[in-house]
Amino acid sequence: MIAITGVRKRFGHVEAVRNVTFSAADGTVTGLLGHNGAGKTTTLRMLSGLMRPDAGTISVDGADVISNPAAAQRSMGLLPDSRGLYPRLTPREHIRYFGELHGMSGTRIEERSDALVKWLGLEAVADRRVAGFSQGERTKVALARALVHQPRNVILDEPTNGLDVMSTRAMRALIRGLRQDGCCVLFSSHIMQEVSALCDRIVVIAQGTVVADGTPDDLRSLTGRTDLEDAFVALSGLEAEAVE
Amino acid sequence: MTALRQVWAVFRKEILDGSRDRRSIYSLLFSAMISPLLFGLMFTVAAERRKSADEITLPIEGAEYAPSLVNWLEQQSGVTIVPPPADAEKAVASRAEDVVLIIGKDFSKDMARAVPAEVKLVSDVTRDSARPKVARVRGLVAAYSSQTSSLRLIARGVASSVASAVRIDEVEVSSSQQRLATQLSILPLLLVLAALTGGLQLSIDSTAGERERGSLEPLLLNPVPRGALASGKWLAASLFGCCAVLFSMVLTMTVMQRVPWHDLGIRFRVSDPELMTLLALILPLAFFLSAIVMFASTFARSFKEAQSYLGILMLLPMLPGLVSTMYPLSGRQWLAPVPVLGQYALAADVLGGKPPGIGLYVLAGVSVMACAAILVGLTARMLKREAIVFGR
Repeated sequence: MIAITGVRKRFGHVEAVRNVTFSAADGTVTGLLGHNGAGKTTTLRMLSGLMRPDAGTISVDGADVISNPAAAQRSMGLLPDSRGLYPRLTPREHIRYFGELHGMSGTRIEERSDALVKWLGLEAVADRRVAGFSQGERTKVALARALVHQPRNVILDEPTNGLDVMSTRAMRALIRGLRQDGCCVLFSSHIMQEVSALCDRIVVIAQGTVVADGTPDDLRSLTGRTDLEDAFVALSGLEAEAVE
Repeated sequence: MTALRQVWAVFRKEILDGSRDRRSIYSLLFSAMISPLLFGLMFTVAAERRKSADEITLPIEGAEYAPSLVNWLEQQSGVTIVPPPADAEKAVASRAEDVVLIIGKDFSKDMARAVPAEVKLVSDVTRDSARPKVARVRGLVAAYSSQTSSLRLIARGVASSVASAVRIDEVEVSSSQQRLATQLSILPLLLVLAALTGGLQLSIDSTAGERERGSLEPLLLNPVPRGALASGKWLAASLFGCCAVLFSMVLTMTVMQRVPWHDLGIRFRVSDPELMTLLALILPLAFFLSAIVMFASTFARSFKEAQSYLGILMLLPMLPGLVSTMYPLSGRQWLAPVPVLGQYALAADVLGGKPPGIGLYVLAGVSVMACAAILVGLTARMLKREAIVFGR
């Protein structure tokens, strides 16, 4: 359960996030939809506890991210915007490192490592150094290490960025699997099809504020458009520019 | 307790990663090799030169004009008279000969008349390697000259002491240990260099490299205190630095055992505990230097940027070393708590055979570790700054 209330963030003269309020419930997939530069990544960075909001509160499973980031981080698994790996380590070593940092025991890390490798289909490459991995494999490794501690809240920043069709499908299946396990899944995207295919709930962000929040059907009726993509464009305030 | 386990996890990961990084391993090995190679070369060359002065072959032109001088020279130990080259000056200029002695044909006549007899010493002053040999020959001729003049005075019923108004008695106060110290004074500099460069690559890779790869943000998403992260990385780099110092020391000692010390006129004991105490001085410095490098590289967004900062930083530990060659640091024990400078000052005393009290080692070690801890703390604080975490 993620609750974000009245969050703001300013960089110099640019107000990246003006007023973002939404919550994401357990057992559902919430999509954070917005075009490039709308404030999605900044919002997720503040949620991760690495960036301090100028105003507002953020809590994850009741733990306040700003005052107690460690507690919040323990119940979160985050695939951030930058997902750099260590080229000289193997996927299993990546998983083990993050497991150790979470204070997990060696046997428990082994169990989780086996489960994640199998779940993500990394068996063939699990003990190879990640230098030279494909984009899809890299994303899977980044996801595996983020989920080593079995977090109840999974946050994915544009998880299908740069993935081919097969990897994108695999990622969608993973997200559905997480929902089935009762996790609270929050992911950001600027791709309409992806959001509509997966999400129980959609939060649309434009110019740093939440402009719509509801089920896909809610959004359609709100804007009076039958096509979700048209609804998104209308909500983002991009229509005027598009017509010109 | 958890934090300690996290430090251990970071440390192990960085060691594993570093040991697979060819650049890290090469920089460790290379930094360990500098000292033994340099020393081996330096002392072997010095010994060769001294040996060449002790056992000389001396070409003499016009030997037939001064049979008594040539005879006397031949009797001196280590001197072998050989036939002269065709053109003495050309032979020396072309470096075929180090020195040639030319005896004028009036030598015997002048000797008999008791006027200064002339000999020419052909040498090349710009040739460092020939200098001891030239000095030896000059000394020999001077000795013959003063011996002959004494005999002349005695023959005329004058005490030979009349001819020498001032006699110089050279009293050498430095022990042989101290003479060795002047040769070895470069060793602390080389060890400090090893301490700095041994962990350099690992330091950069685990800070600026982490930012460049974009792996810093995912790493910081783990519930780990920044201090634990910084400490683990620092300890890993320090271990590499310490290994470089230890390898360097062991290799240098191995080389030293093969140096012909007795040709240098120095008694050198390899198992010297004083030399071992150098390690106790320099090893804590590896922790300090790794902390500086880590702190500086955390500012850098990329490997290249870090290297440009560190180019300047590399001079820092070398400066006191260079200064000490002009301005001796030995005996300045009040410098002990100053990082790097203190180590050089105490090392100079150790090598000079006047080891400082154990309290000073402890003072220097504690001070250097405290400075390192402050730098690690500052690095940990930097890892909280958004400009560092997200600035790519």
